[in-house]
Amino acid sequence: MKQSRWQQATYRHPYLFALLLLVAAFIANALLQPNLLEPTTLNRNMRVFLPLILVAVGQAIVMIGGGIDISVGSIVSVVNAILATQIGLSGDLSTAGVMMGVALLVGMGAGALNGLFIAYLRLQPIITTFATSFIYAGLALFILPNPGGGAPSRLTAFYRETIILWLPLAFYVIALILLIWAVVRRTRYGRYLYAVGGKADAAYETGVPVRAVQFSTYVISGLMAALGGIAMTLLTGSGNAQVGDPLTLSSITAAVIGGTPLSGGAGGVAGPIMGAIILGLIRNIISFANVATWWQTFVNAAIIVLALAMPGIINLVRRRTR
Amino acid sequence: MTRRHFALFTLVLMTAALIAACGGAPATTAPTAAPASQPATTPAPEGKKFTIGISNPFISSEYRTQMIQSLIEINKEYMERGITNELVIESADTDVAGQILQLQNLINKGVDAILVNPSDVNGLNDTLQEAINKGIIVISVDQELNTPGVYNVGIDQKEWAKISARWLAEKLGGQGNIVLIEGFPGHPANIARMEGVEEVLKEYPNIKVLGRETGRWDQATGQQVMSNFLASFPNLDGYWTQDGMAIGAMQAVMAANPSKWPVLVGEGRCQFLQLWDQRLKEDPNFETIAVANPPGVSPTGLRIAVNMLLGKQVDKSKLGGANGLSFVIPIPVIVTKDNFQEVFTTVCKDKPATYLLDGIMTDEEVQQFFLK
Repeated sequence: MKQSRWQQATYRHPYLFALLLLVAAFIANALLQPNLLEPTTLNRNMRVFLPLILVAVGQAIVMIGGGIDISVGSIVSVVNAILATQIGLSGDLSTAGVMMGVALLVGMGAGALNGLFIAYLRLQPIITTFATSFIYAGLALFILPNPGGGAPSRLTAFYRETIILWLPLAFYVIALILLIWAVVRRTRYGRYLYAVGGKADAAYETGVPVRAVQFSTYVISGLMAALGGIAMTLLTGSGNAQVGDPLTLSSITAAVIGGTPLSGGAGGVAGPIMGAIILGLIRNIISFANVATWWQTFVNAAIIVLALAMPGIINLVRRRTR
Repeated sequence: MTRRHFALFTLVLMTAALIAACGGAPATTAPTAAPASQPATTPAPEGKKFTIGISNPFISSEYRTQMIQSLIEINKEYMERGITNELVIESADTDVAGQILQLQNLINKGVDAILVNPSDVNGLNDTLQEAINKGIIVISVDQELNTPGVYNVGIDQKEWAKISARWLAEKLGGQGNIVLIEGFPGHPANIARMEGVEEVLKEYPNIKVLGRETGRWDQATGQQVMSNFLASFPNLDGYWTQDGMAIGAMQAVMAANPSKWPVLVGEGRCQFLQLWDQRLKEDPNFETIAVANPPGVSPTGLRIAVNMLLGKQVDKSKLGGANGLSFVIPIPVIVTKDNFQEVFTTVCKDKPATYLLDGIMTDEEVQQFFLK
């Protein structure tokens, strides 16, 4: 069957639908909350969205490679537990720097363990990372049984209040991610990634190092989760061994809204970033539209389901009308 | 514009309309954000009406439902007097980041006071500080926060646990084998309660704790944990548990129906009193204790917030807690065999089984915390 132009466009630009949705959500939010565009308001929102953005980018890369990572939330929790206990509320900046480095290594290590099981021992990604998520969650609880600890306010203030040229810190982080991704996806590794996710067998036969590529996606995901954990710690300024739990499913939702199919081999990084922002904007819209208390959860979920189903609905409608 | 583009355009419009509709539809019961835009049906005493925001990060519990409902009810009283606007309620199951967003939105909406039931002991500190810096009165209800400038309104969780723990120890005559079923480990209220229990048990060295397990403040989990305990320790003399789990635990005992029932503690819910009543029909000598954990501390907190907004000075000598900023609310109801019939036949008569025994201080009673 000949593809419609919409299908072609969404195939070539997987983030197209997310972009439309982002614009719609942003306009709706700005109408309800007129000061949304002020730098301080924008910053307040973006600093809350950033942890999920980082985790969703890692998730998307795993999904492009044909896998899925259920353990990201727990990795965020481990990192949060390490930072909160090792830096502490009165910690100095050099310790903080060292511990953040350690946190990144821990995240990559956790990802490497996932990758080892999945790429080299050929276990099912969903079951493996589900199982390892309990290992990491257990580790987080072991490090930090009771919520507490924290990060010094000088450090959290940097994360919470940095605005350069009217743009919040988060924008520069996003720009950096997009820049790195733009380079990576043009390299051989980038092409391998899509080949492995699309059809691993065919990729293997044409000489693509399938296992190494799969392994690498989990390491990247672990790294991004660790960065998400650092951002989360700086946002809350405290430690809680369960802080990352809700990020797992949100990161998958953000990636899917952002045009990354669960079947792998397609998608990108811009889409999931938008997806994560959209999820946050939806919460804002509900808040500012004065949705009645008992309906908030329902409306939030309904909009997310609609956002997930919309590309399918568009395709369906377009096939009918042709 | 081609047909195709038109179809796409329509879809985008529909999405936007739907988002807008979802927001607009239930607006009849929704709070209004800006005090200025409120048409003044009843003239405010000093021209300005106050707006109070609520942040609640956990909704799947009867406690929170009752809390929100009574907050709305009590606020109506002040609305009729022309003192406040409708509440701005941010209530959804969410994480720490989500609650930070809730609080930021409340700040952004220009509320005059925030009542927050915190999901984390320290995670909200910076955000609450921002609110305080903007001159917003911040009150943490139900759970105590040790954050400078944040007032707390709640019961003394430690004392609350001690009441039933002491009753259990006395009832056992100071000796026997017991088990403990606790709430979420690491949760501030649970930590305080278990400390209280340990303090009481220290006074009774002949009471041996055979096991301690979490029932996650959940009825089904409480039932399961208790079933396991009954299977492992058939000669259990008693057990201590907390609200949310005591119903499940007692149901487990009912199902197992051992020849000698362990001495048990209950919870201040009508459903538990029903079980109590049921057991009394089988064993007229049965007795237990139910200490209310009142959701009414939040509406009491609302009254305190309103009085503070009206410019009344807090009498700091009446406050306690780590920061000296805690309004400690007395426990409204303790049900024992002496008043069981009375409470069961009056308070629970026309209430649903999920109703928590409650108590909300009146505006007059709240005045004790303020300088005359």
